[in-house]
Amino acid sequence: MLLKLQKRTLVLSQIIGYALTIFIGVTIILVTSQFYFDIKPLLSQQTDIFKSKSAVISKNISVFKTIDKEKIYFTDKEIKDLKKQPFTKSISKFNSATFKINAYSNKTENVPVFYTDLFFESIPNTFLDVETDEWKWDVSLDFIPIIIPENYLNLYNFGFAESQRLPVLSKNTISQIEFNIQISGNHKSKDYKSKIVGFSNKVNSILVPEEFLSWANKEFGRLNKNKTSRILIEFNNPSDKTILEYFNENNYSISKDKLEFSKLVFFFKSALIFVFVIALVIIGLSIAFILLSLNLIIQRNKELLLNLYNIGYEHNRIAKFYQVLISSTTVLSIIASLIISNIIRNYYLVEIINLFDFTENKNYILLFGISFILALIIIYNLLIVKNIKKIVIPKNEK
Amino acid sequence: MSIKLINIKPTYMSDAEISASDIYLQESVTFEKGKKYLIKASSGHGKTSVLNFIFGNNTNFSGSISYSGIFSNNVFDLRKSKISYVFQDFKLFSSLSVFENIQLKNTLTNHKTVEEIENLIEKVLLDHKKDSLVKKLSLGQKQRVAILRALCQPFEFLLLDEPFSHLDKKNIRIVTNLIVQEVSKQNASLIMTSLDETDVLTFDKVLNL
Repeated sequence: MLLKLQKRTLVLSQIIGYALTIFIGVTIILVTSQFYFDIKPLLSQQTDIFKSKSAVISKNISVFKTIDKEKIYFTDKEIKDLKKQPFTKSISKFNSATFKINAYSNKTENVPVFYTDLFFESIPNTFLDVETDEWKWDVSLDFIPIIIPENYLNLYNFGFAESQRLPVLSKNTISQIEFNIQISGNHKSKDYKSKIVGFSNKVNSILVPEEFLSWANKEFGRLNKNKTSRILIEFNNPSDKTILEYFNENNYSISKDKLEFSKLVFFFKSALIFVFVIALVIIGLSIAFILLSLNLIIQRNKELLLNLYNIGYEHNRIAKFYQVLISSTTVLSIIASLIISNIIRNYYLVEIINLFDFTENKNYILLFGISFILALIIIYNLLIVKNIKKIVIPKNEK
Repeated sequence: MSIKLINIKPTYMSDAEISASDIYLQESVTFEKGKKYLIKASSGHGKTSVLNFIFGNNTNFSGSISYSGIFSNNVFDLRKSKISYVFQDFKLFSSLSVFENIQLKNTLTNHKTVEEIENLIEKVLLDHKKDSLVKKLSLGQKQRVAILRALCQPFEFLLLDEPFSHLDKKNIRIVTNLIVQEVSKQNASLIMTSLDETDVLTFDKVLNL
C-alpha cells in the first residue's frame, strides 16, 4: 500500500533523465581517468628523450652567413638576452676544438684501415644523457673517451654500410673498437688511444670530456678566444609557446620535433583534463537535478507525507522508498557505466597495442565505479532522510 | 495511561479569546483511563487544537502535557499503540481505495485481520465501496472510513474531532456502536469534540472551551 502510494508521487521522466546523465557523466570520468593511467607510461617513455627539457640551438645559416662566418657565432649580448628569458632555466655553451684532429687505425688492428679529419666539442657533464664510468680524462691519461650522436650510427648502418658493402655494427661492437687520435697545432702534435663510450640522443655532435678540450685548446689551440656557435638550453617548460616565437624572431634554429612532441603531450593532457572537468560538471548537474526533483516531489506531496507520519509511519520508513529508488537507479546506472567503460577500454587497448610497444596498466575502472556508488549513495541517503524529517516532524519534536 | 494538561494555552490565541475555559490556563486537567470526555465549544475556540496538542502534531502551546506522568515532546511513539485519532479533515489518502486506506494503518500493528476489516466496512454500509478510491466518496462516506481506520490499531486513548459532522442519525448510531464496542474492548478512554451537547454517547465529563 505504502509502495503504491509513494510510487504515484514520482515523475518517471525525471528518474530516467537522472539515470541517463549520471551514466554519461560517470562513463566519461571512468574512461578518461583510465585512459590517462593507461597511456601515462607511454607518454613518459616518449618524453624520456626530452627528459631534461633541453635543446640545442644555433643560428640559421643563410647565403650571407656562408660569406661572413662571424655571423654564425652568438654574441655575449645575445647569450645574456637568452639567459634573461622567462622560459630559460639554464644555458650552456658548446666548447669547440680549435686545433686539428685526425682519427686513424693501425694496419695491425682488426678494423678497416681509415684516416679521417674530425672535430670535437664538449658540454658540461650535467647536460649529458649518457652515463658511463669511462667518461673521464686527466693529463696523465693517453686515452680520450668519445660520445657520438646515436643517429651517426644509424647513418652508418642504414646508409653508408649498405652502399659500401661494409658490415653493420651494433652499439656494443662499435664500443669495442679502439682507434687512434692525433691532435696537432701550435707546431706540436700528440697521439692518443680512443674509443666510443656512448651514444647521445640529445646532442648532435662528437663530444669529448670538457677537461680534455679545455686543456687541449690551451696547448694546441689556434685562437685565444673561444667562440660559441651552439648553445644547449634547458627550459622551465618546453611547451611554453613563447619559446618558438622567440627563436623565430631571432632567427635561431632549434630541434623543433622534440618541442613539438612536448607540446603535443601538453595539449593531449589539457584535452583530457577538459573532458574530465566537463564530465564532473555533468555529474554535478545530474546530482543537483535529482536532489531538486526529489525536493520538488517532497514539497508537492507534503500533505501526503505528513499524513503518513500522522497515522504512525516513521520518517525513516517514509524516506526508505525514495532512498531505495535513487540508490538503485544510481547503482544500475554506474554498473552500466562500468560495463561500457570496460568495453571502450578494451577497444582502445587493442588500438594502442597495435601501434606501440605497450604493457597493459592496472584497471582502476571498478575501483573508481564502486567509490562513486558509495559516495553518491551516502550523500543521497543522508539528504533524503534530512529532507523528509524537515517536512514531517514539527520543530519542537526534533 | 492517563493524560494530564498543565497550564495549557495556545500561543497563537490571545487571553481574551480563551477566557472562561475548562481546559486552557487550568492548573491541571487530567484525562483518566477508561473514561469518556466531551470537549464542547463553538467554532474557532480551539477544540481541534486541544486534540492536536495531545496527539503531538501541533506544538504551538505554552504549558506542558504528561503521558502517565512522563513529559515528552515526542508523541510519535504513542501513535502506533496508545493514541488513535479521527481527524476532522479525515487525512485519508485519496488515491487509495477504502480498504487500502484502512489496511495502510492496520499493517503498522496488524491489529485486525482482513476479515475483521471487511466486516467493519460492511457494518458501516460501505461494502459496495470497499474497492472504490476515496476521492470518489462523499464526505459522510469518508468520515466513516476515517473512523474505521482509527479503530484498526491498539489504543488507550481515542481522539474524535467532530466525528459525526457529516453523518445522518442512522449512520451516527452505527458508528457510535462500533466506537463504544472497540473502546470498551480495549478498556480505553475517549475524548470527543463537538459544537453542542450530544446524546449519542454517555460522557463521564463535559468540558467547555
